[in-house]
Amino acid sequence: MEVTLLIEAMDSSFRLLEDAKNQAVDIMNSAVRLTSETRIIEEKKLANIFKGAQSRRAVLQNVMATFVILFGFWVVLSGKFDLFHLTLGFICSLVISMLTHNLLFANVRVGDIKLTIIRFVRYLPWLIYQIFVSNFYVAYLVLSPKMPINPQIIRFKTKLESDISWVVLANSITLTPGTITMDIKDGEFYVHALAKKVADDLNAGEMEDRVAHIFMEADHIYVQDVLDVSPIFGVLRKGI
Amino acid sequence: MIRKTDDIIIRTVARILVPFIQIYALYVIMHGHYSPGGGFQGGVILGASIILLLITHGLVETTKKISERAIAIFSSIGVFIYAGIGVLCLLLYGNFLDYSKLSVILNVTPAEARSMGILGVEIGVSFTVMAIMISIFISISTTEDHSKYDKEHY
Amino acid sequence: MNTFFLVIGIGLCVLVFFVLYRVVFGPGVFNRIAAISAIGTKTLVIILIMGIIYNRIDMFVDISMVYALLNFIGTLAAAKYLEIGGEK
Repeated sequence: MEVTLLIEAMDSSFRLLEDAKNQAVDIMNSAVRLTSETRIIEEKKLANIFKGAQSRRAVLQNVMATFVILFGFWVVLSGKFDLFHLTLGFICSLVISMLTHNLLFANVRVGDIKLTIIRFVRYLPWLIYQIFVSNFYVAYLVLSPKMPINPQIIRFKTKLESDISWVVLANSITLTPGTITMDIKDGEFYVHALAKKVADDLNAGEMEDRVAHIFMEADHIYVQDVLDVSPIFGVLRKGI
Repeated sequence: MIRKTDDIIIRTVARILVPFIQIYALYVIMHGHYSPGGGFQGGVILGASIILLLITHGLVETTKKISERAIAIFSSIGVFIYAGIGVLCLLLYGNFLDYSKLSVILNVTPAEARSMGILGVEIGVSFTVMAIMISIFISISTTEDHSKYDKEHY
Repeated sequence: MNTFFLVIGIGLCVLVFFVLYRVVFGPGVFNRIAAISAIGTKTLVIILIMGIIYNRIDMFVDISMVYALLNFIGTLAAAKYLEIGGEK
């Protein structure tokens, strides 16, 4: 009888001890959590302040760059250098650069704009030469009596990363006669090519390499694929 | 109901083009008395730039830049500038829109006062034309209350 | 030199009629839109040639820029209308 009582007492005392230990652990845990939460909040606040300062600086840079470009455009358009017109141009460019500073320079990495512009200007003669050459080829295709065209839609995954380089590549493809960019979906280009030779020229990827060189982007392996185009042409022939 | 497009080419080209269109519109307005153009044409080009934004970037993103309230205010401010310059000429013992009387206030010769008066009137006209064009486009293209649509896609 | 530009301008005017055939009879809406856009581009060049003939190229450049801009926005608006026209 006494033994059982003793055992019960020991049991209850152990239970009490365990409860106390659990409570202490809980309190400790909550304290740790609280401190870590406050630390996270503090870090977030600091990051926000930093980001705010950074974004304010970026906005200022954007406004300045847009203003310079727009004022240059105004001077080229106007061609009048008296004080009245220059003041008007100053005010107009300032107002528009403050309104549209996040349109002209979105997703631009700061610091390499100058080099990008120089490389872009160097890219243009090559593009014009390419347009010249393929003009003659397309004229030959159209004028030859057999009309040896072989229309196809090429799909290739590009190695370019930013949207501005996608757009430059897409517009270069469209400007070259015989090829038209139809769509860009998640970095995949859908290009309509008039003949096999044009498509092969595109698949060789020299244009893409040059555009990647302009915007200083890395090399990737890309897949090439040719879609069956006949059902689409059937739809187009029928009309809508 | 103006949706924003998914096409990245059109979005990017429009984004780069809009500031140049706007500075060109202001050039047309300000040089209206030397070269073709003037208040109405410049206002149309300004309105077209905002309509380009509306087509490509959707209603929600554009109204962050220029809200419909601001458009309504602009359309009244333009009329106010036009009528204000006219009435100012009346108050200076001239006819309505008789700009040469403004030379008393502006401290310039009457010929220069004419030039500046025409410039002010053209700015007023362009404000009104721009605001009315945008509001017509928005009222045609939104048949219902657009606020109840999903903000992500509209 | 003026006759040279005159001949080029008249040639472009004749070419506009060939494209106009696509606008009127072209199967489908997309052919029509593309053809109207092509006519706009030709008109732009014709305006510039007129500017050279009248010796007022500084004025006509302004006009042609506005024409190109409105052509671009008009084509875009028509394409947009067709894109969402089916939903109603």
